Amino acid sequence: MLVTTLMWLTAGLYGVAAGHYVHHLATGTVRGALWAARVLAVAALSQLAFMVVGWASLGHAPASDIHQALAAMSLLVVVVFLITARSRERLRVLGAFITPVTLLLFLGAALRRSDVPSVPEGVRSALLPVHVGANVVGLAAFAFAFAFGLAYVIQERQLRQKKLGGLFQRLPALDVLDRLGLRAVLVGFPLLTIGVVTGTMWIVRDSLGLSATQGFGLLAWLLFAGVLLLRVAAGWRGRKAAIGTMLGFLSTLVVLAGYLARDSFGGGA
Amino acid sequence: MTDVFVVGISHKTSPVELREKLAVEERAVGETARALTERAGLREAVLLSTCNRVEVYAGEGDEREVARWLEERAGGPIDAHVYVLKGSEAVQHAFRVAASLDSMVVGEPQILGQFKEAYTAAKEAGAIGSLLDRCFTKAFAVAKRVRSETKIAEGSVSVSSVASDLARKIFEDLDRRRVLLIGAGEMGEQAAKHLRQAGASLYVVNRSLEKAQKLAEETGGIARSIEALAAELTEADVAIASTSSQRFVITTELMRGVIKARRHRPLFLIDIAVPRDVDPRVGEMDNVFLYDVDDLSQVAEENLGERRRAAVSAEQIVRAEVEEFEAWRRSGALKPTIVGLRRKVRGVLASELERTLPRLNGIGEAERRSLDKMLDAMTNKLVHRAIAELKASTGTADGHALVETTRRLFDLEPGDEDEGAASGDAAANRSPTVLEPATRGKAS
Repeated sequence: MLVTTLMWLTAGLYGVAAGHYVHHLATGTVRGALWAARVLAVAALSQLAFMVVGWASLGHAPASDIHQALAAMSLLVVVVFLITARSRERLRVLGAFITPVTLLLFLGAALRRSDVPSVPEGVRSALLPVHVGANVVGLAAFAFAFAFGLAYVIQERQLRQKKLGGLFQRLPALDVLDRLGLRAVLVGFPLLTIGVVTGTMWIVRDSLGLSATQGFGLLAWLLFAGVLLLRVAAGWRGRKAAIGTMLGFLSTLVVLAGYLARDSFGGGA
Repeated sequence: MTDVFVVGISHKTSPVELREKLAVEERAVGETARALTERAGLREAVLLSTCNRVEVYAGEGDEREVARWLEERAGGPIDAHVYVLKGSEAVQHAFRVAASLDSMVVGEPQILGQFKEAYTAAKEAGAIGSLLDRCFTKAFAVAKRVRSETKIAEGSVSVSSVASDLARKIFEDLDRRRVLLIGAGEMGEQAAKHLRQAGASLYVVNRSLEKAQKLAEETGGIARSIEALAAELTEADVAIASTSSQRFVITTELMRGVIKARRHRPLFLIDIAVPRDVDPRVGEMDNVFLYDVDDLSQVAEENLGERRRAAVSAEQIVRAEVEEFEAWRRSGALKPTIVGLRRKVRGVLASELERTLPRLNGIGEAERRSLDKMLDAMTNKLVHRAIAELKASTGTADGHALVETTRRLFDLEPGDEDEGAASGDAAANRSPTVLEPATRGKAS
């Protein structure tokens, strides 16, 4: 099975890249970072091949189910990260946070039952690609926001506890992490809003009850809205903003996990 | 045979008062080096004069005369402070100084620049010969190697540079950041200067506005009265407290209001005062990072420890390079000695033959050629053993001594070999005719 082989190859490569990045963060060897980037680039290519082969065999349009959406999202995160880390070397240590997240997203996308038509018939419409596309890019931005937030929290803790070792030296400055986190949320939030609005439209139109997963979707949206509001209006920044952002992303992961569980165990929308 | 030697004093052997007396003005360094070559009969000389050392590096000459020159400058006996190093020890010293291993703060970057300036000044004054030239060029390379292969220059080792490093880890870019200096403590002033050099703007607050203005003038900052403390703390990104106050100047009550007004902007608070100026509880507040003088000096200490550990491998690099340099120097002396020895022996034989030849009647062209060959053979036989021994002992401990001995026994002067050294042994073997023997050389 070509698809299965490609899937495990991709997952394995992501795992190796993640290991390299964590090692680079822990020890600071430049060689380690170069290898991590190479492996990650190969993993991205492998994933692309996996997706193309998968589409061909399924005959689905790319943006029509949650798995492919997730796969597209993880690929987007990897490509954006690789491009950014090339021009801003100081950010490449963040691969230690970003690659494990992509590995998780990819596994969520890849582990599936092949015979389930994931999208309920009633929801298929012209709006679906917009809904999925906005969510994909939005959540990719939040994956970055999560990584920046995690790095911020770690860095802030070290500074406060006066543990100024190698890890502290290698991670970027607090202000940089804070600004990047804000930027990622600013990009992700409007897109997630589009995703939530389109999703809500179906719920209202078809009088579908609000499921637990969708509840978490709204919660995530509210968290990001809250963080953004506090940041922009009240000048919030730093640790609390970072933690809020991380919680927001984790809620979206719960939503995704809910969808995946529904697919796998056949629950209704 | 030339040898490098060093005569000097440094922070390790002498107090600053003495170093001040001996120090030579920067613009006079080259000329002084040249004057010293004449005075002490030095073949070459470099004078290195920094606030931590005054040293004369020289090639061949009277080191006692150099020491006397230092003594004259000091205006009294300074034997206890002066060190004289010769040969490989001198070379090692030069390499260690250039690599900042002999510095007060190991790994500090200024010394290499000063070392290069001393060399350039001596070169321009025409005081440098081939040996010191080689020695100094090599020292630059060693310093570079040590810097790139070891961690000797990494990490800040002073309280003020640690503070500015930390500020960079919070704000990344210090350009357009605002630094507030509270009080007039020496260390606080230094830290503020450090941050100002990194591009931050500086504000100075003091209990007396007059003092604040004076300090602001010195540091390139802007003075503010003590009443503006809360307002200034609200605006600042970094605040350095170094007052002589016996009570907390920055209290939790004061900071509560400030933090509200700052709207969560991070504040880096540096408390350099003893007793402390900032209530330690302020450090628990959100978005406030409080470091006191102990925190900072602990970081500086740790970094200094790292440098000392790096210095161990740096010393190994230096030792290897000294050996290489010494091997070059010895082999450099060996070749001219061999050439000189051959030339000397053949020269003596040829001149004796020339004195005898007129008494032998009617020698033909063929006989002359035979005699010529006989001289070559005799020379070879006579010097064979000596040359074999010299070559065999190259690089060993007695190699150097043997070269010296050979030169003394056969009365070889520096310069004997100059002609031959350029083209090698072969030139000495291939002598002209018997009748115009090696009398061209100064040897005969």
